[in-house]
Amino acid sequence: MMKSMIAQCKAEILRTLRNRRFVVFSVVMPVMFYFIFTGTMGDIKVGGIDWKAYYLMSMTAFGVIGASINTLSVRFAQERTQGWVRLIRITPLPNSAYVLSKMLSQSIVNLGTILLMFLIGHFAKGIDLSLGQWVACGLWIWIGVLPFMALGLLLGTLKSVEVVQVAANILYMSLSVLGGLWMPITTMPKLMQTIAEYLPSYRFGQGAWNVLGGIGPDWTGILILAAYALVFVILSTYILKRQEAV
Amino acid sequence: MQTVITMDHVDKEYKGTPAVKDLSLTIQEGTVTALLGPNGAGKTTTVSMLLGLQKPTRGQIRILGGAPDQPQARQSVGAMLQDISVIDRLTVRETIELFRSYYAKPLALSSLLAMAGLEKEQNKFATSLSGGQKRRLDFALAMAGDPKILYLDEPTVGMDVGSRQLFWESVRAMAGKGRTIILTTHYLDEADSIADRIVVINQGKLIADGTPAQIKSAQGRRVITFTAGERLKPDALSGIPGILETVWSGRKVKLSSPDTDQLIRTLLSRDLDIRDIEISAGGLEDAFQTLIQGDASL
Repeated sequence: MMKSMIAQCKAEILRTLRNRRFVVFSVVMPVMFYFIFTGTMGDIKVGGIDWKAYYLMSMTAFGVIGASINTLSVRFAQERTQGWVRLIRITPLPNSAYVLSKMLSQSIVNLGTILLMFLIGHFAKGIDLSLGQWVACGLWIWIGVLPFMALGLLLGTLKSVEVVQVAANILYMSLSVLGGLWMPITTMPKLMQTIAEYLPSYRFGQGAWNVLGGIGPDWTGILILAAYALVFVILSTYILKRQEAV
Repeated sequence: MQTVITMDHVDKEYKGTPAVKDLSLTIQEGTVTALLGPNGAGKTTTVSMLLGLQKPTRGQIRILGGAPDQPQARQSVGAMLQDISVIDRLTVRETIELFRSYYAKPLALSSLLAMAGLEKEQNKFATSLSGGQKRRLDFALAMAGDPKILYLDEPTVGMDVGSRQLFWESVRAMAGKGRTIILTTHYLDEADSIADRIVVINQGKLIADGTPAQIKSAQGRRVITFTAGERLKPDALSGIPGILETVWSGRKVKLSSPDTDQLIRTLLSRDLDIRDIEISAGGLEDAFQTLIQGDASL
């Protein structure tokens, strides 16, 4: 059981790193955006926080959201439509271990993305946070991405890989823009700000920005994120059960 | 010999439409059973139920004494299923290693590669393999856990002649080692040469069960072939009693009959314009056709 989980995770991580889409959308794009928007905006502050540090959290969040939604949804959809799931089901690997190892390996990849972004922020942009802040931000982004993994799982229940790919990209981009990960929501009209308050992407970024601002955890945000995760997990479990009932 | 598979009065319905009807079957350890039947006969449904991928609507299935989806069965069963694509962005070797990790006592990587004839391709991405090579990779994955029971659902579809030969050689080598094999195929000559038992299913029901020789002879159908001369018109044969089926291919004529001894006397006594006469036992293909047609006319 342990042996097969480790092998499954290893295979999943290899597949992710060999995927050019992952590298472009989840590593190259956030890094590029980070350099472009910290280069052009100069030394401003958002809500009292250095823009360079603020935007580092935004782009790290953007990167891990993209990787989680895109990789998981496409992989689940592909493996179901191409019969791979059926083949796994006749092996001793339990279905839960199969899903869990996908989530786990995505987490390991996400941890790599977070570390890479933080190293770039520290060494290339000279961001100076306390060790406690680095760790708190890193942990928040690492764990707080769970609702987006659940969203990936939910999208993965769609029948066509092409539809999943398009839907995942639209959701990922719109959630990121509307949630203020590209540009802070303070630059948006009032209505957009109100909408953003209910989006998981805004709440996800907000957790990390709060750490930078020295504000304690925002329980409303955590509650909203947990609610999204719960709804996505329940919905996908329900749909999967229905699809498998033959 | 020990019974490894039991199907006891199994029915399977899809939304009220029956796919398998009252199927009872026991399979002994170390045998090679071919499950034959026309398209839509219920072969794949039967294999799916034996694998625990689908549940019977009624009846019971036991694999090695337990339910098909129990851990013990999962450890001892391997299968080549239809319409499964290979996993992307993994090499042949990595894919096999992944599958080996699922089982408590996997076969060695080197022997799996040798069995599938994929030693040279082991570092290639599985998605870059040819159709036949992919099918052989499926075979290696089916064998990864050193299974006691092996299901081969249309295993040679997409294989070229070379792949097919290599494949059956590997299967034959294993069949001798106490493994139980259940296969479905459209190529009846393959079933005839490898299986020691043939089970024919039509419209979800079992209609024949026996050794290839029994199946062939039970139909009591033998074949007379000859070359028709210029003067022989097709309707000259139509009134002759004892002909089950007449097939013209150019001037070559094939007659099937339950009693070829009687038929040949009749043909000769009528002084028909025929030559190059041959009398033979029909093949499995002929027996199979008779069974299916006989079943349909009931």
